[in-house]
Amino acid sequence: MRRFFSVWALTLVIGTVVWAGGKSVSAADEYAYDLVHSSVSFKARHLDISWIHGRFNEVEGKFSIDREHPAKSTFELTIKTDSVDTANEARDEHLRQPDYFDTKQFPTIEFKSTKTKTIEGGFEVLGDFTMHGTTKKITLVLMGGKEHDFKGTKRVAFSTELSLKRSDFGFDKKAIGPIGDEALILIDCEGVRK
Amino acid sequence: MYLKAMGAAAMVSAMFVLAMAGVRRGSATWLNSACVLGMGLGLAFGYYVLSLRLAWPPVNGLDRFLTIVVPAALGIELIAGFQCVPRWVAWMLRMSLAATIPRILLHGSVYLSGSGNDWNLWQAGTALAVCGALLAGLWGLLSWLSQRSPGVSIPLALYLSAQCAGLTVMMAGYIKGGAAAFPLAATLVATTIAARQITKRSGAPAILGIGVVGLFSLLFIGRFFGRLSTGCALAMLLAPLLCWTTETPLLRHRKPWLVGSLRLVLVAIPLVVVLAVAKRDFDRDMAPLLGEVQPSAFRLHRKG
Repeated sequence: MRRFFSVWALTLVIGTVVWAGGKSVSAADEYAYDLVHSSVSFKARHLDISWIHGRFNEVEGKFSIDREHPAKSTFELTIKTDSVDTANEARDEHLRQPDYFDTKQFPTIEFKSTKTKTIEGGFEVLGDFTMHGTTKKITLVLMGGKEHDFKGTKRVAFSTELSLKRSDFGFDKKAIGPIGDEALILIDCEGVRK
Repeated sequence: MYLKAMGAAAMVSAMFVLAMAGVRRGSATWLNSACVLGMGLGLAFGYYVLSLRLAWPPVNGLDRFLTIVVPAALGIELIAGFQCVPRWVAWMLRMSLAATIPRILLHGSVYLSGSGNDWNLWQAGTALAVCGALLAGLWGLLSWLSQRSPGVSIPLALYLSAQCAGLTVMMAGYIKGGAAAFPLAATLVATTIAARQITKRSGAPAILGIGVVGLFSLLFIGRFFGRLSTGCALAMLLAPLLCWTTETPLLRHRKPWLVGSLRLVLVAIPLVVVLAVAKRDFDRDMAPLLGEVQPSAFRLHRKG
């Protein structure tokens, strides 16, 4: 009987230690998207002679970086389409309409990683990119990833650029008009460790 | 292209109604069925010319209008036109459709998902109920007027409103949504005139039903997904009700052509005002985006 209780107590102690240890020694660091020091901007051709620039002012995101097992790192980004800003209120209103972003039907643009691998100077991230109700697999090359401690808060930053054809995401080809089909999206994001 | 789409829609629907209704003159059911199928074909051709394709699953309000609302309205009006179908059954089907159209059109949007700063559950329920009641009321009142004092002026009033809705929604910046109103307007006028040629009657209740549903849906999409203001949308939706003005004792027993003309003039007045407001807003907001040069805050100063 005494031996039975000893084994039971030992199992309980070991189990508790393993459980507690497993929680506290997680290798992945969680970061929240820092809206103040980040930007998601874009540019598209106008009449094929110049570029129109714009940005999205409301973005949320989080990423988890596992330094020991980089393949386990994850990245998520949610852009609110209603926050489109091209420095011209009338054009922004026009872009929110169903011929373009259709913000009442598709309020967000989302990216969620499905596979991550390290490359020199950053990560190559494969994920699902959803815009205008259409989801496609895209690969983001995230450059950066160095951690910086600023006033006791750990920060990490990444930059990436990607080129998309709006017509691939269900945008009306006729409404594309003088604005080019191809859009260049530039993401510079800084994460604050949670 | 818009004129081409209107021409195609009008031509196809009128030819179909003339061909079908000419086969069996005098049958109200046959005429109603011919009008429903003629309008369906006209709309299909018009939307084909505009490259508005049926998308399944429908992902936005306009897709749901083309793939669910229009076929449902055509189907219900086809069924309602048969003599063997009791009137109360026909109206129950119509009212059910009226009650569900706002929900169908807003499906999956921010208004119903509870995300962001848009409606909560209570607000969404109220808005859907009010919009459904508005459609049902308009449909009922115009049908009642059509039975009380028939005439081509009622479908023609709907044509005027649909045409005005298309232009206004386009000028508000939603080009595709506005364009969708033109084939509807064209089929409305072509079917009405063709039916009139055959029977010397004002046409079939189906024309009215499809016209009301189409007008309401396009204004609803323009209001909730585009930038159409509530005031303009309501003015265009309710303008055909001004046809009731001729039911006053002073005007009721006048000659039919006078009553019809008066109805159209009365309906046209608010529509002209709406168009003027839409044009003013377009010139202010949209014209600079289409190439009109805006003065810069920074001026170039020449010396000497």
